[in-house]
Amino acid sequence: MQLTETIIIGIYLVLMVLMGIYFTRRAHSSENDYWTAGKSINTFVGAFALFAALASSSSLMGAVGSGVALGVPFLFAYGFGAVAILPFTLFLVAGQIRRSGVSTLPEFFKQRFGKSVQIIAVFIVVVGMTFYMVPQLTASGLIGSYVLGIDYTTAVIVLGLGFTIYAALGGMWAITYTDLVQGAIMLIGMLILSVLILTQHNGFASLIQDALAVTPTFGEITQPWMSYFGLFLAFLWFGIVSPSAVMRNFASRDARTARRSAMWACLLYLSVFVFGFIVASGGAALGIADSLTNMDMMFVSVIEHYMSPILAGIMFAGLIAAIMSSADAMLLAISAGVARDIYKEYINKEASEKTVTRLGFIIMIVASTIGILIAIEPPQLIAIMVGWVGGGLLSAFGFPLVLGIWWKRANTPGALAGMLGGAITFLVLVITKPFSLVSEPIIAAPVSLILVIVVSLLTQPPSVAVQERVESYHSDAKIIE
Amino acid sequence: MRSKSKLKDPGIILLVVFIFLAAIVLVWWPTDIYWMGISLAGWLMFFSYFVWFLLAVAYVYWIEKVEKG
Repeated sequence: MQLTETIIIGIYLVLMVLMGIYFTRRAHSSENDYWTAGKSINTFVGAFALFAALASSSSLMGAVGSGVALGVPFLFAYGFGAVAILPFTLFLVAGQIRRSGVSTLPEFFKQRFGKSVQIIAVFIVVVGMTFYMVPQLTASGLIGSYVLGIDYTTAVIVLGLGFTIYAALGGMWAITYTDLVQGAIMLIGMLILSVLILTQHNGFASLIQDALAVTPTFGEITQPWMSYFGLFLAFLWFGIVSPSAVMRNFASRDARTARRSAMWACLLYLSVFVFGFIVASGGAALGIADSLTNMDMMFVSVIEHYMSPILAGIMFAGLIAAIMSSADAMLLAISAGVARDIYKEYINKEASEKTVTRLGFIIMIVASTIGILIAIEPPQLIAIMVGWVGGGLLSAFGFPLVLGIWWKRANTPGALAGMLGGAITFLVLVITKPFSLVSEPIIAAPVSLILVIVVSLLTQPPSVAVQERVESYHSDAKIIE
Repeated sequence: MRSKSKLKDPGIILLVVFIFLAAIVLVWWPTDIYWMGISLAGWLMFFSYFVWFLLAVAYVYWIEKVEKG
């Protein structure tokens, strides 16, 4: 057991739970507050919250591990898509979704395409986000078992339940404000680690030379082109198709604040990938890749090697923080999907705000329990599991959403065909594995695109009211504040 | 009238720029040219991070200008 690290992580987690409890009273005062923090988060808090929700355990552990194992260009491909997430979301959908006045992805599908599309979307969100809990729990289990010296299964259960409770208690208020802390710790930690690595290796140029001397393939493109392209696509679309990130956008005060938050969050995310490059180089220079049983542990090894126990403890807290905030955002999307979009919408329209909030709480506990059970025997490496989630959501939601906003001729049968066709194609490709890793969306997303267009054109156009609504997404006069 | 103005939307214009730049990297894909021991295809992806951020900045200020006008 690493005592200093354990104490620091322990103090950190207690502080986060206290913050969650503190915001509970505020959160439960109104349903609106619970889901979107009352739309009163400023640019600064919003940027860190958006950044921390995007920078998951995969961006840190998975990217660094894969950068050493598969060559640093693989890590660059992560960033190539991931740093573009926020600009891409801003360009294509952010303002329009905001103007539509909805606060979840399924809600948008209901407004644009009707109930049938919404219900399928909720189902896909709930399944996708529950599966997305698995890599987060796997990562927390790996760090926890290393630091605490306990077995992996116990670490997954203890950490998983710990951060679920605080997310469930505080809703978006707790998540947004603890995200500010988590985002800051992660960023400063990565900066310090990078400086330590650069100092020990006498600067950037000699660090790269050291890395190449120990790991000669470090600078090479080691995988087929399709893997890099698939990774780029899956990450690029993450902001658009990930229900948690879209929700973050609505937690900001107004359209201008939301955009500026996204812009600054992009810079923060960029910094993480620059630091990630240095950390991966530091890892490659250690020459321990062959001795690790799990490449996702590379980041942990780099921290242990270059940092003092106190700094390492803070870094591990930052890593667990990154996992926590991503997992919390996912849990919130799952509970919003079931409690608000299904229960209140179709089962009990008269449900009180308190009932809906309480149901959301129970759903979070159930979802995280399922996630924990799968994470005990994780099916794949972290990076690949995250790639699946991104690719799956892109294949199902990407084109029904984008065409729903930009093409008023897109109709309900088209959206249904695109969503189901994309999701099924993706699943078939994941199961049959005909291509290189994470390249599934290269096929499944265009299938979805073609289905939306062809089926829409073969069936009746949407009503005039719906077409006018599509126009209103692009009209400033209809901004809903 | 509106469908024409959609093509002039700053988001769509910057999206075209973004796709163009990403396409250059992915089509050119210079795997065999090395700089500091790292493949140029990798470096192009790395340097694109900064371009993506500049595109975000351009969008934010452009939209604010459009809204003021």
